[in-house]
Amino acid sequence: MFGPPVATINPPGLPIERGKIHEFACSIYDDNPLYHDEVAAKEAGLPSVVAPPTYSSVQAHFASANDMSGFGDLGMELDLRFVLHGGQEFEYIRPVFAGETLTPHQGEIKTYEKKGRRGGLMKFAEIESYYTDEKGEVVLKIKNILIQTAGVVKA
Amino acid sequence: MSDSAFDNIKEGDEFALEHSNFTRTDFVKYAGGGGDFNPIHHDESFAKMAGNESIFGMGMLTAGMLSSVPSKWFGATSVKKYGVKFKSRLWPGDNVVFKGVVTKVYTEDNVKHVDMDLFATNQKDEVLIQGFSTCRPWSP
Repeated sequence: MFGPPVATINPPGLPIERGKIHEFACSIYDDNPLYHDEVAAKEAGLPSVVAPPTYSSVQAHFASANDMSGFGDLGMELDLRFVLHGGQEFEYIRPVFAGETLTPHQGEIKTYEKKGRRGGLMKFAEIESYYTDEKGEVVLKIKNILIQTAGVVKA
Repeated sequence: MSDSAFDNIKEGDEFALEHSNFTRTDFVKYAGGGGDFNPIHHDESFAKMAGNESIFGMGMLTAGMLSSVPSKWFGATSVKKYGVKFKSRLWPGDNVVFKGVVTKVYTEDNVKHVDMDLFATNQKDEVLIQGFSTCRPWSP
């Protein structure tokens, strides 16, 4: 179903931390107590604070300091000057909590090309990844969509 | 966070959050919080050299804020699926409304599920992000 761990996406053994979740939640202006308050989380019967749905971006960036090679071998050449993040999908088998250590695995990569509205050729890469917990169970599936445009995009 | 949000939910129900006057500081704060240090989001001269009017916000900043709609509405542990497609960019000074509309309420594996469409829309009624989410009550 999925490949071996992708060590470059996340230094092995790096735990998800309360402080980083707090900082991340502040940066998206979300004051949900379950993101910030360990006591509130425990009172709700949870092991610790919850990682917000898009928190895994943090791990993806730990990866490779702006180097999209963190995505692994795409099987196509992308010119990073013209690559846009087209979209992203998250599927949580269960919520993720501070204190856990997740291991990312690369899944399927689909690439295809489409003609853009302005006539240029656009290349698409859909990249799946899977995050497993300490028991080796998949807790989170992510699909990233990258688009390479024919040149600078004027919005 | 409460499971009771699921109790009387029905198709067409809405929930919205908003954030006014995004600043460059908001983008820098997300760079630190989320780890995206692409200079196009914080370095004005770099952004202009790349053909942009100014720096602009990270898609994942808007996506992170849009994810607060399902997580505030149905609870932080309730988000089963969340997806976004980036449509337009977020600029300094923008006012953005983050909105969810329930499209389907159903039961799967004896658990109530709610599907919703999500939109982040700026003051010019441009959709910045189109998204979706599925929520269901979750307990440890």
